[in-house]
Amino acid sequence: MRVDVEEKVLSENDRLALGLRERYRKHKVFCVNLISSPGSGKTALLERTLEALPKTAKVALLTGDLQTENDARRLAKAGFPVKQITTGGTCHLDARMIIKALEDWDLDAIDILFVENVGNLVCPTSYDLGEHAKIVVLSVTEGEDKPLKYPAIFAISELCVINKIDLLPYVPFDLAQAIANARQVHPGMEVVETSCTKVQGLDAWLAWIERRRKQAMEPGTAKGPAKGHEG
Amino acid sequence: MHELSIASTILDRAQVASEQNGGARVTKIGLRIGEISGVEPDALTFGIEALSKDTPMQGAVLEVEFCKRKQRCSACAAEFEPEGFLAICPTCHGDQSECIAGKELDVMFFELEDLPCA
Repeated sequence: MRVDVEEKVLSENDRLALGLRERYRKHKVFCVNLISSPGSGKTALLERTLEALPKTAKVALLTGDLQTENDARRLAKAGFPVKQITTGGTCHLDARMIIKALEDWDLDAIDILFVENVGNLVCPTSYDLGEHAKIVVLSVTEGEDKPLKYPAIFAISELCVINKIDLLPYVPFDLAQAIANARQVHPGMEVVETSCTKVQGLDAWLAWIERRRKQAMEPGTAKGPAKGHEG
Repeated sequence: MHELSIASTILDRAQVASEQNGGARVTKIGLRIGEISGVEPDALTFGIEALSKDTPMQGAVLEVEFCKRKQRCSACAAEFEPEGFLAICPTCHGDQSECIAGKELDVMFFELEDLPCA
């Protein structure tokens, strides 16, 4: 006996992500999803970001790891609301985890929500978290061919942050080639170059966030709040 | 290895199909997997084998329909199957295009063993 189903395997996640997207629209929350390999500096980038923002900024963070509260402790120092999502063994965040983490937060008190995904360039690609934009972070110690090796995440991320540029003199990393590789899999991809230890490039990063947030708050535009998930 | 959680989601659906049919064994699971869905069929097969032990899905065969990635050029609307990840339109050489196929990750059907009439 054959039972026809024909539905998306991740339809439950997509449905929950759609609900999140709707809540973000209603409460005017701009959400970004940061994805990278482990150790590329997502947490450091967020630390510098929080330090650069005025204390009155309505910013909140969710940070995902398999184990430990270490990242939440680091990020909490700046005084903004932070919550750690420990996934146990799971290699990515999914929409259900985000909904649970937001349960006791007032979304009206949040203008920007940073979601730091589990360090992984593969699995987070498949899970829509209702975010306005995915951002991929690549550090110069990883090799300039990473966009070609892991093309899917570079193809769907709006921005590529190239981090640890203070180390460029010490590593065989071809910055121009890395950018060319990112744009090969994602024509026109936006790139910012940062160092979180020497604090370089933060202005361009913060300007991108603010510009993209304004776009997200404009109804009816291609990048506005009504935009759904492409996948 | 997010294939394991995807396998688990597929098996949950199969379990429901089995329960709706008197607990019949599931013998085949039909899937459609796109080239850029991010899912490795081999890893998925492993996940389904590992998670289906001692369930009505144990031993189920996977039938996978594989979908090539297809893009539609934003400039000239030509549809093409890009080689690798580079998506340059072969007609007008434009580099802007949208993905119209290749991201599929769908459960298509289950085949269940017919139960003997009671």
